[in-house]
Amino acid sequence: MGNKPGTDESTIRHRPLKVYAFDPSRGRTLGNYMTINVEYEDVQPGPLGKYVHVIDYDATHDCYYLPIDLTERKILIQGGIDPNESDPRFHQQMVYAVVSETIRRFEFALGRTIVWAFERRIHDEYDERKPLRIFPHAMQEANAYYDRDLEALLFGYFKASETDAGVNIPGQTIFTCLSHDIVVHEATHALVDSQRDFFMEATSPDAPAFHEAFADIVALFQHFSFKEALLEVIQQTGGSIFRSVVDPETQPANGAPIIQAELTADNPLVGLAKQFGDAMGTRKALRSALGTPPNTNDLKKYNEPHTRGSILVAAVFDAFFTVYVRRTRDLMRIARAGGARMSSGDLNYDLANRLAEIAAKTAEGFLNICIRALDYCPPVDIQLGDFLRAMVTADYDLVSDDKYGYRMALIQAFRSRGIHPAGVASYSEESLLWSAPEGLSLHCKGLAFDLFSLNPRQQRQKNGKALWSFAKKHAELFCLTIGPDIKIQARTHHEVHRVSPDGQIMFNVIAEITQSREVPIDPNYPNLGKFKFRGGTTLILDENSNVKYSIPKPMGYEKDDENNERLIRQRAYQARRESDMAFSDFSEERLLGPELVERWSKSLNMTHRGY
Amino acid sequence: MATAKSKSAKKRAVNGSKKGAAKAAPARAASGQLNKNTIRVRMYRIGFGDCFLVSLPIRGEDSKSDYKHILVDCGVHGRGDIKTMEQAIDNIAKVTGKKLAVVIGSHAHQDHISGFGKFAEKFAEFDIDEVWLPWAMDKNNKVANRFVKKQAALVSQLEDHFHALAARGAPVENGALEAVENLRGNEKAIELLRMGFGVNATVRYMTAGDKLKDPARIQGLSVRVLGPPTSEEFLSQMDPPAGQHYLRLVNGNVEPADSAPIFANKWTAQANAIGVPRLSLDDMQTLKERAEFPLDDLAFALTKVTNNTSLVVLLVFRGQYLLFPGDAEYGNWRWWLEQDDSGDILSRISFYKVSHHGSFNGTPKSAVEKMSEGRFGAMVSTQSAPWKSIPKPELMTALNLRAQKRIVRSDWISVDSAPAPLPGSMPVEPPRLPKGFSKGSIWVDYFINL
Repeated sequence: MGNKPGTDESTIRHRPLKVYAFDPSRGRTLGNYMTINVEYEDVQPGPLGKYVHVIDYDATHDCYYLPIDLTERKILIQGGIDPNESDPRFHQQMVYAVVSETIRRFEFALGRTIVWAFERRIHDEYDERKPLRIFPHAMQEANAYYDRDLEALLFGYFKASETDAGVNIPGQTIFTCLSHDIVVHEATHALVDSQRDFFMEATSPDAPAFHEAFADIVALFQHFSFKEALLEVIQQTGGSIFRSVVDPETQPANGAPIIQAELTADNPLVGLAKQFGDAMGTRKALRSALGTPPNTNDLKKYNEPHTRGSILVAAVFDAFFTVYVRRTRDLMRIARAGGARMSSGDLNYDLANRLAEIAAKTAEGFLNICIRALDYCPPVDIQLGDFLRAMVTADYDLVSDDKYGYRMALIQAFRSRGIHPAGVASYSEESLLWSAPEGLSLHCKGLAFDLFSLNPRQQRQKNGKALWSFAKKHAELFCLTIGPDIKIQARTHHEVHRVSPDGQIMFNVIAEITQSREVPIDPNYPNLGKFKFRGGTTLILDENSNVKYSIPKPMGYEKDDENNERLIRQRAYQARRESDMAFSDFSEERLLGPELVERWSKSLNMTHRGY
Repeated sequence: MATAKSKSAKKRAVNGSKKGAAKAAPARAASGQLNKNTIRVRMYRIGFGDCFLVSLPIRGEDSKSDYKHILVDCGVHGRGDIKTMEQAIDNIAKVTGKKLAVVIGSHAHQDHISGFGKFAEKFAEFDIDEVWLPWAMDKNNKVANRFVKKQAALVSQLEDHFHALAARGAPVENGALEAVENLRGNEKAIELLRMGFGVNATVRYMTAGDKLKDPARIQGLSVRVLGPPTSEEFLSQMDPPAGQHYLRLVNGNVEPADSAPIFANKWTAQANAIGVPRLSLDDMQTLKERAEFPLDDLAFALTKVTNNTSLVVLLVFRGQYLLFPGDAEYGNWRWWLEQDDSGDILSRISFYKVSHHGSFNGTPKSAVEKMSEGRFGAMVSTQSAPWKSIPKPELMTALNLRAQKRIVRSDWISVDSAPAPLPGSMPVEPPRLPKGFSKGSIWVDYFINL
């Protein structure tokens, strides 16, 4: 649009846009109509911005829907179109706003700009940014997913169950792009994929479970930034925001509720994608943050990614709610001492405000730990236990004193669910922290970080090369495999600028060193073909280019393959997936070698087809 | 492949069936004879489908009926039918004197139960004591009912869809269509099984973990049901996906089942409207494929669901373990493979009915590895039509190794105009059947010495 006389766009910081805090099924209750202050950018119709491009093409009906022009005066005046299921332009506006907000949260926590996975691949050829495409009405299907090949987020729409539609009208069209949770969940998949090349490969039951859980965690924590919804839930639960139901606005006079104000409702903060779940006939939110009471058996029982992932979600939220309760205990005591009534609906307005503030802050703190922990994960084959170590180290690095007990709460929550990091002697903070190779101070030479560099791309390439030679030189110390045919690659690295709560500026370099070798799919049937078995190490360097942490996932040597636990686990897992896959029994062609390998590598996408 | 040798085998087998047996062969009977010290498993070649008759000798009970017979399935897939079923049922009638102690209907697929419906009149003449079915076929089971209803609706929608696609001249994946067809036309058979064939047979709906002792008055038989389970994880796999979109034929015209637009017309953009982005043809094609794809997938998913409702029965008779897993696939196996004594059971089996016609995921590798090398015989009822990929060579090779070649395929019995094993298909028929096996006109017998 360019600058018009009399305006100066550089002073505009936000573009307010209306969205559903949850989904259309909540109506106006519990702060469901909300406004997101999207970071201001120049947009074309679509919207098309720097990071995302909303393209409203419907493959089922083979047509385009008219795109919204956010710069249109009538739309600007109202802060975007009002929530409206029947106007596709509101849908476009909502996905744009929600995805943009999610990106902003990642950039804030990671301390760097997001570059999409597919941009990274082409980065050397083009200097221009390539936005992630969003199809809000991609097809008629009860699903939504991140599609790496299409460089897009695909959102489906579908008819609600005719027999058991819950709060929906039977047969009503449900739009997955209007579910705040689903949009955040899918955007998170794309954001995680943007960080590393092979991080999302499904190498064990834990890897896809982690990715589903992580996306759910981000979506759930987002709930606690919805001020109005949070305040209402605090009112209706007497401050116990972790309860699965909220109290009615007024207690029924004779026990049984007669009017809607007397009905209890699900707590929207702790449930995910309620409308979607309802429309599928499950009569409840699709997934919940709370899960079952902690026990160490569930992890052995559940292998389906979403179910297994929910154990991780429950652990993180257990820690979050525990810290929230501890941080608000004094306020509650003071209120009670002053004779205040603490039952639902009666909370003093100021008290409710203070509780909301603490809940929001704590949630933001936890979300930041989770996102930052991505940098502290091994580059491939993540296990749930690795994530605990990553979170503990990420937080320790930035906030060494753990004033509010975040880390203790996390450790305890993981322990009680039997999520045990491999190779760790105890659940103490010290043994959970990642470490650097012992006794040595390893310095990486030749790194330059000139923020005002005239040629940032050249600088990047140079740094990549320096990191690569550094990793090669100390391959053994970093648990990398050395061999004539084995390459060491430094495909991704990131510069991180963060500010700790005590005002210190931190500068880190995160480098993902990866390597792979070909191993037979099944050692007993060599003609079945081979697959790429990966390993690698995440290196974290401090501001002086010294190694702070080395986080290895060794791939070992061929001679030890018989006892290579990771390899055995990956084989078992992939054989099981293969036999679970719907096609394998009836498919006409025999799956051999390359086809099988291709299916193995594509299989992650199949998980995503189940939001 | 019906050589002179196999014909003589047939004669022996028929003779041995009733009268010959009463004469009580020596304790270590030569294989090929049914007598009071042998168990016989007879596999009929009826095309792509299962029909097994197990005959157990009962000592000193009633001299007229020295044997109790268990019929495990009787069905053939519509596109793999070689028209020998009537002959098979006549043979069953002859061998058993029309008395069946137990009829097992392993799961609701054509290729396992169609015969019960198609030849209802013949079965009506039988005296049947008990009918065993998986819990998923129980009308009074709420969970089962929900699945059945949902499935039935999906199946008819899917069929319409595939037919509509064909009418439009679009390519239809045959495998998918055939998979759906396998789910159809079983209503009569299911109904008859559920009412115990109307002859007062006791109907049992069974669940993993059930145990029976001397059922149907078969002295010395104990039964363990290994599947299907009712665990939560298992059930979540059973629930077919919902909310797909279909084509259908309406008055001869093809239209999507949900062709209704999702927005008012005014919101649909003309291709050249201002601000409407242009996708490349490739992208549009990919998106359209993404939108279509789930239907074929769904068709297979549906058959898999039913396969996994298979009743998995372990018959234990005088120290011999016989395993009949129906068409169980991994979801079903998993539950009991995870039980403590699964290794113990598998290492002891003396007979294994190969699950799901020898398909890739019918028998998990971990199960094969637990079977005792050379200590069991296996039978696989299979044929290269309608699915060329069945039986799976890798699996058959592995099983052949484990069983030390004591494995026999039903399609080694040659039947006029029925498909023979494809070249390269495993295992290859040896010049002589392995020890303990003998051929009849449309069946193969396996004898287990007691």
